[in-house]
Amino acid sequence: MRRVAWLVVLAAVAVAGGLATAPALSQSKVVKIGDLGSKVGVFEGYGKYQTMFMQMAVEELNARGGVLGHKIEMISEDDETKPAPAVRKAEKLILQDDVKLLVGAVSSGATMAVMDVTKKHKTIHWNAVSCAEFMRTTKFHKYYFSNQPDSRMQANGLAKYIVDKMGKKVYIFYTDYAMGQSDGRQFKTALEKVGGEVVGVAGAPLDTKDFSPWFGAINQSNPDVLFLAFAGTDSLRLMTQLHSFGMTKKYKLAGIDCFLLQQDLPAIAEPMEGFVQLAHYSAFNPDKQMAAFNERFKKKFGVDGNIMAGAYDAVLFWAAGVEKAKTFDSDKVEAALEGMCLDSTHIGRQCIRKEDHQVVMDMHLYQVKGGKNLPIARLEGKDTIGEPMVGKDPVEGFTWEIKKKN
Amino acid sequence: MDYVLTILLPQLLHGLVFGAALGLLALGLTVIFGLLGVMNFAHGELYMLGAYAGIAVIGVAHSFWVALIVAPVLVGLVAAVTEMTTLRPLYRREPLYGLILTFGLALVFREGARQIWGGDMRRILPPFTGSTPLLGMTYPNYRLFLLAAASVILLALWLFFTRTRAGIVVRAAVQDAEMLDGLGVDVRRVFTLTFAASGALAALAGLLLAPVFTVYPQMGVEMILLAFIVVILGGMGSMGGSVVAAFVIGVAQSLFSLWMNPQRVAIAIFGIMIVVLIVRPRGFFGREGVLE
Repeated sequence: MRRVAWLVVLAAVAVAGGLATAPALSQSKVVKIGDLGSKVGVFEGYGKYQTMFMQMAVEELNARGGVLGHKIEMISEDDETKPAPAVRKAEKLILQDDVKLLVGAVSSGATMAVMDVTKKHKTIHWNAVSCAEFMRTTKFHKYYFSNQPDSRMQANGLAKYIVDKMGKKVYIFYTDYAMGQSDGRQFKTALEKVGGEVVGVAGAPLDTKDFSPWFGAINQSNPDVLFLAFAGTDSLRLMTQLHSFGMTKKYKLAGIDCFLLQQDLPAIAEPMEGFVQLAHYSAFNPDKQMAAFNERFKKKFGVDGNIMAGAYDAVLFWAAGVEKAKTFDSDKVEAALEGMCLDSTHIGRQCIRKEDHQVVMDMHLYQVKGGKNLPIARLEGKDTIGEPMVGKDPVEGFTWEIKKKN
Repeated sequence: MDYVLTILLPQLLHGLVFGAALGLLALGLTVIFGLLGVMNFAHGELYMLGAYAGIAVIGVAHSFWVALIVAPVLVGLVAAVTEMTTLRPLYRREPLYGLILTFGLALVFREGARQIWGGDMRRILPPFTGSTPLLGMTYPNYRLFLLAAASVILLALWLFFTRTRAGIVVRAAVQDAEMLDGLGVDVRRVFTLTFAASGALAALAGLLLAPVFTVYPQMGVEMILLAFIVVILGGMGSMGGSVVAAFVIGVAQSLFSLWMNPQRVAIAIFGIMIVVLIVRPRGFFGREGVLE
């Protein structure tokens, strides 16, 4: 009996000891990743969903044992949608928190500024939403990866559809900073290449409150199609105002993939009806992979997913790269990621192009119907990605000049 | 003809709408300038507080129309207390003191709003939506209401200043406060009430424009620069001049937008101001002795 009692005591001590040492072990084996983006202001929706999608990936990976036996811990920072705070926060994440992966930022201007930081500190940097054309060209560095279709990819896919199905005369209206300028430039180039005519261009500052001063010039140009390169609350205001001036019925509408998140659409369904865009994801795409992914996301957060789902893949790709390299060393992870394909992304199998670290993404043309982005055509990734242009100027010879056709 | 109806007319309407709202803001500014002899740098913040007070009142009363009455009254009270506690002790000092004080007050109000309501942009939904077909174009109902409301208020103010004893007393205080004091009028009371009314007017403009421009702590800073230009162009201290200048600036800004990016129109507006001041150094209706 006494022996049994001793055994019980020993077992209790062992269990207690195990419990006591377990947290110590797990604490010593933690790897941190950084989530940098707009958490308030004009692009806050994108930043908040970036956090949610990353969190989903982190929890799924941790449930499977983490990465290289390390539990993943995510640290989120707000960059105020501005380059200077973005740089400051990126430095903090890398130097103070020692993150091994940095996902962000949201605004193209901030992302490009952060690229200098990740290059300097040799940190794996993943962009999941910024779309300026300089990031995989002149600003490219070997630690940078992207699964966001940039301006060039979107323009290549969208321009032909617009000319074929919507109208040849297009007015380009863009938000006048890195992202919008890039979208405007690339779209103008692509449209003119496929026989379209740009009848007018104008930029409005980021966070413009009243767009009506621009409407006279748009009406004056008499376009068939309005191409809109805005995002976030700018898009919301613009569409509300265009609609109140009767311009959403007068012109056909097209725009960039991040124009509005799915969550914003129901409230603005009528103005957005018929709006065409090219994107890698929609919660309402009947594609099996996308539907299953959306189901998981909705179960977790109670809302539909959106194009920020790329942030989920960013974490997955990085973790796969680390597992393949068997180390967190950035140089080795970068080498492991080049050319890597992954089947478990939000849209199924995707591969990273070796030359410019851009994920080759099959996309869909979507049209808004009743507040939902519904697919109308599918485009192969190889047809939109364009040639690698690392180190080359993607806007060489470009001019905003309007070439009048007779 | 088509060009006039579909292009020029809507732009002209934009200009009138904006000009009328700007007139409300500038009118209060010019009256205070006449009284104190300094530009009230905090005027833009009273405009901003009007919009935030509107949000607060709408939150309680669930009515834009109630807010349109209550919010200006609340901001008018804030303005009255501000005048009595901070500006009044400085009346006998150099105008520079008042200038620095109002600049400081602007910072306090702006940061106060940021602390209370946060830095995020907020929306006030217009009390009605929809558009009206007008001569072949479509124009939003709320903007038409804005033009009508601001015009009625400006007309009412004109009647107040020209047809009522109280209005004539205020004009007299603007012209020569010391003389008015000598005639036995309680000038301190006139100053307080006028400052409060000017604040309420700015708040009314802020709330009326909120459904179009949205609400954020910096909103006053962006508007006040234009209001300053209006006051200078109209003739420092001239109420009628301010209203005329507000419409000139509003319409010019809107029409210029047809031929140049609206981002660059501000440069053209400054150009107009420079030309007017070269030709008429006292502005449209400036009186002798002001700033001379």
